[in-house]
Amino acid sequence: MKSLPYVITRGTWAHRVLILSVAALVVLAVLWASGLAQFRVAQLTSVFIYAIAISGLNLATGYTGLLSIGHSAFFGLGAYTTGVLVMKYNWDPLSTVVPAIILCFIVGFLIGLPALRIRGLYLALVTLAVGVAFPELVRRFDDLTGGARGLVIRRRLLNPPPWSGFSAGQRDAWLFWLSAVLLGIVLFGVHNLVRSRAGLAMIATRDNEIAAAASGIRVAVVKTSIFGLSGAVTGLAGCLFAMYLAALSPDGSFTLLKSIEFITGLVIGGAATRTGPVVGAFAVVYIPYFTANLNPSNVSQGQLSGVLFGLALILIIFLMPDGLVGGISRLSGRFVHVRPAAPSNTPTPPPAPAPVPTGAGSRGEPS
Amino acid sequence: MSLLLDRLFDGVTNGCVYAIMALALVIVFRGSGTINFAQGELALFTTYIAWWLTTLGAPIWLGLIAATVAGLILGAGVERVLIRPVRRRNDLAVLIVCLGLFTALNALAGLIWNSETKTMPSIFPNGLEDYVGIGGARLYFDGLGVWIVVLIVVGLMFLLFNHTRLGLHMRAVANAPESAALSGVRTGRVLMFGWGVSGAIGAVAGVLITPLSPQQLGLQTMFPILIYASAAALFGGLDSPVGAVVGGLVLGVLQQLIMGYVGFVGDSLPQTAALTIIVAVLVLRPNGLFGTRQLERV
Repeated sequence: MKSLPYVITRGTWAHRVLILSVAALVVLAVLWASGLAQFRVAQLTSVFIYAIAISGLNLATGYTGLLSIGHSAFFGLGAYTTGVLVMKYNWDPLSTVVPAIILCFIVGFLIGLPALRIRGLYLALVTLAVGVAFPELVRRFDDLTGGARGLVIRRRLLNPPPWSGFSAGQRDAWLFWLSAVLLGIVLFGVHNLVRSRAGLAMIATRDNEIAAAASGIRVAVVKTSIFGLSGAVTGLAGCLFAMYLAALSPDGSFTLLKSIEFITGLVIGGAATRTGPVVGAFAVVYIPYFTANLNPSNVSQGQLSGVLFGLALILIIFLMPDGLVGGISRLSGRFVHVRPAAPSNTPTPPPAPAPVPTGAGSRGEPS
Repeated sequence: MSLLLDRLFDGVTNGCVYAIMALALVIVFRGSGTINFAQGELALFTTYIAWWLTTLGAPIWLGLIAATVAGLILGAGVERVLIRPVRRRNDLAVLIVCLGLFTALNALAGLIWNSETKTMPSIFPNGLEDYVGIGGARLYFDGLGVWIVVLIVVGLMFLLFNHTRLGLHMRAVANAPESAALSGVRTGRVLMFGWGVSGAIGAVAGVLITPLSPQQLGLQTMFPILIYASAAALFGGLDSPVGAVVGGLVLGVLQQLIMGYVGFVGDSLPQTAALTIIVAVLVLRPNGLFGTRQLERV
């Protein structure tokens, strides 16, 4: 028997087979999941939506080091853009994604502007202000947004478009596949971005801003545009969420607690890892679900699950400091080790926790 | 005129609440370099303890003392058991532990004492007639009581930081942890004490605030207060106790005045408006009003 770990060089046929088989496994898993009961399919759809939102947060917080507790606002902005355009202006739901993304990018860019002077936890206050402001603004402009009463999107308007091949009754399946495909696109985009020159600039900005600026990185451009992009991706998730829930209210899903959920998912999954957001999304959707089911009596359902959820968070941080993806890749590194080849740019898009070394997994203390 | 005074009084009372919680946050930040997101829920939990004692027939001042002691123990225990093991790792890990604690403590309070809203007895007379008239405005005794207690706490903290050996150690650990450790300061113990003190301050704040809060004692009582306390602490400068108090008072008064006098934002956007002003100030002074500038060696 060959000694472990089994070494695979990047770019060789063995590596390609590994990637293809992981990709095939993921596609098979999604296909299998799409055949599950309707409730399960809807649950997985929400996982995909969360994963997109957390991927957006990951760009700003994980890779560029801009801690944001205001991403619920982008999530809400995307959702309300879709809701308002569909209900008040009779847009087709899918076509609202474009204006929502553009709007979120612009807002994110503007929020990124104070980041040029304000750093760290003080920057978190700026994003906090945005997160607090969003529900208040929704309530203030109630002629457009429905205010505190909420905005209900008529189900009929959310039917799958005819070209998709889904019949009018298959709304859940359509949303499931739409979210899955968009998640795939987002992950692929993030993967390419962080491995590009721009990605290096982001990581350098995070690790040491002054050194990055001294090395010729335009820190201001990086920060503002990444904040915009991050907002746009989370906004996209918001659009899907509006289609998924079909009923929006300022106090329901777009408060600071949602931002906290995103951050939690990001850190549990693994900040600054490419598949971390997906794993984190599974965690924030399924851990509360399972802890709620563990409860023998139904008297204080929510409370016990809350206690267990909190303990699970602390436990994960204690056991796996780099998040679940960090833990998994360290474990799998014992069996299969992927070695980078001599300088070459092989595209490696594994959309699942694959045993690929995760770029800048650890965040070193700046000295 | 009397309306303005009324609003000012309300603003100062709210501001005192933010100030005292912000002070608790600042004490933790100076030692540990993190915002303790669980601060509000620690206070909530100890307030529940005080409330529970009053239902058993104990007078409220006994509840206050018990809550303070519980806050001290809880805070110190959290630092020793949960924060110290992950502190050296990175800031995000500490943040998540705090968030986990936030969720767990809130749910635990609900699990033990159920999620119905409780009416918390006030430690000060708080009837409709218990006020002094100043220029036609009404200054209620419970509000005044909060002012006085905040003054006392701030005074005690001033004495602690500037006139005791322990306070000297706390400042040393905040400024230069390694040098302090090399000079024989027991850093771990000092940090633990810092968390304990801030837990105790939070407990005092919780018992005082809840009778004034419109939500009374419920599971949601502390979250908004924590948010504004964090804003106040950041506004004043995260490492400055003076800043925390000033920041809290400014935020409280600002909110009331905006709510009363700015037509367009009026009563629908007070928090947004107050936070926007704070952000604008931060753009001019990125480390808060009284915060020290972070110098970094590259």
